[in-house]
Amino acid sequence: MYAIELENVVRTYQIGDVMTHALDGVSLRFAEGEFTAVVGPSGSGKTTMLQLMGCLDRPNSGVVKVGGQDVTNLNANKRADLRREKIGFIFQFFALVPVLTAYENVELPLLLNGVNSRERKERVDELLNAVGLADRSAHRPDQMSGGEQQRVAIARALAPRPLLVLADEPTANLDTDNGTQAMEIMQRLNSETGTAFIFATHDPRVMVHARRVIELQDGRVVSNGESAQ
Amino acid sequence: MALNKLWVIAIRDLGRNRRRSILTILAVTLGLAILILMSSYIAGIIDGSISDSIYLNTGHLQVRTEGYEPEKASLQWQDLLENWDEVQARASAIEGVEAIAPVLWARGFLTTADETIGVRITGIDPGSGFHDPIHQSLVAGEYLGAEDRGGVLIGKHLADSLGINAGSKINLLVGTSDGEMDEDTFAVRGVFSTGVLTYDEGTVYMTLSKAQALTGAGDRISAMIVLTKDTEIAEPVAAALRGQGRSVVTWQDMNALILQAVETGMSFYYLLYGIVILVVAVIITNTLLMSVFERTREIGILAALGMKGRQIRVMILLEAGSLAILGIIGGIILGSLIVWYLMVTGIPIGDQIASMAQGFAMRSVLYTKFVPGDMVGLSVAMLVIVLLGALYPASFAARLEPVEALHAL
Repeated sequence: MYAIELENVVRTYQIGDVMTHALDGVSLRFAEGEFTAVVGPSGSGKTTMLQLMGCLDRPNSGVVKVGGQDVTNLNANKRADLRREKIGFIFQFFALVPVLTAYENVELPLLLNGVNSRERKERVDELLNAVGLADRSAHRPDQMSGGEQQRVAIARALAPRPLLVLADEPTANLDTDNGTQAMEIMQRLNSETGTAFIFATHDPRVMVHARRVIELQDGRVVSNGESAQ
Repeated sequence: MALNKLWVIAIRDLGRNRRRSILTILAVTLGLAILILMSSYIAGIIDGSISDSIYLNTGHLQVRTEGYEPEKASLQWQDLLENWDEVQARASAIEGVEAIAPVLWARGFLTTADETIGVRITGIDPGSGFHDPIHQSLVAGEYLGAEDRGGVLIGKHLADSLGINAGSKINLLVGTSDGEMDEDTFAVRGVFSTGVLTYDEGTVYMTLSKAQALTGAGDRISAMIVLTKDTEIAEPVAAALRGQGRSVVTWQDMNALILQAVETGMSFYYLLYGIVILVVAVIITNTLLMSVFERTREIGILAALGMKGRQIRVMILLEAGSLAILGIIGGIILGSLIVWYLMVTGIPIGDQIASMAQGFAMRSVLYTKFVPGDMVGLSVAMLVIVLLGALYPASFAARLEPVEALHAL
């Protein structure tokens, strides 16, 4: 079974009178446990593809399947359920809830999933430990560095034991050391947990870590190969 | 998701822009304090006015002849009550009756060397407990004795305007039962000050027997005033006293003007209440909308994590509820403090305004009155309106598309 399948997916945006094809007939399959980078220049459709795979958006045509389930026409509540249970997100801008501590941010998806408090505590401690932030659990985002915030975001994305994690430019706002550290953590967690990671990126550091690199251009797949690693 | 976690987020969100949250809470506090003040001010006026009217003038009930018209203060024998001893005996036997007072009213003129003023002359039984408020409000001289036939009590305003005091001599010219006028000289035995201008500037009290003799009313009276334990039992007591040839009117009938004015006035006050509450609701809506706009991307993140529109709506409503509850607590404290202060010191409105309230027992100093029921009602109304005001921003946040929200700046 595939983690994600895209079949001839088209996503267009109308801006004024101009119709833009963000994705133009993309068909791709992602296996469980993949560690894949989606690359391409700005405007090539990387972010749009991630949003469709993450059930944040719906295609104009084509089919999106998550864990074998057709999610193309699910309503907003059903898509929210699916995101909560099966998909983790990591964003370029760290995207933590600013009023919650590191611990509470990681705990949030577990609360949304109705996990009991004992399990929540075990899971949050385990994840904060895994990203090397056990001693920062009581800190709020504004008390942490960018690298630390992104590691909290990684822990949060993995908290509900999702089928896959979608990361949109996860290293774009990090310096080299922090970027490399974040990638190494994700790579390690990918092998340990079997959760698929799919990145949209410009960053060669990410591509180096990826086992498969997909290249998009003008909303079409131009290369569907695997990296040299 | 556990409501308490949503509440934690809501409360912490309020702390992010403290100044805005405090100003919004302050708006609720001030709004509610104004409402509480208005309601206790109105309650104070109504209550004070009706209570003054009952205890200083009308009593809870009056037994009169059927033809008696109080405005005319008629002294025609057929308009006056005869054999009132029997009514007095019956009334005093009824449980809940606190005081009984036979009175005779007449119109007349008070003249001094320099001036003549129209007054209402009231013949009273000085021993009746109904007149205790007059006795207690004496500021000079002494009260009337049971057999006093040469003394009167006058109000302080009247005394001041005529430049007289206890011990002064005055002339009274009084209309009589046969339509003539009679005149006599009296000593001002005492000067009273009830605080109600209508009574303090226009009433002269003398003993009932002297008033009857002066007006030629014989042993008749204008009315038998009955004071009951409270307003509730006035009606059953009235029913027990009704009989052939006499009518019994209750405090509602006698204070119909005040009650009607209250009813008319209330619709105006409800309008003011509505405006105050609406202003607060607009402020809350504005605050929350600004807050939602500022946090659009964050709401997108929560949606991406799988939070449903319903939960986002509840989170914003909890923020509004927290603002409202903090504001309401402040409003109750501030409102109560102001009401309490004005209950003690009163609000001086001046004699001229008080005297404009013709037919009203209006004091020149008004006092507020605590009405806990109103306070609770207004607080609940405030909470409901705030939550209604928050519905729009909450629904707006709940309907945000995750993709668009995530792209917001």
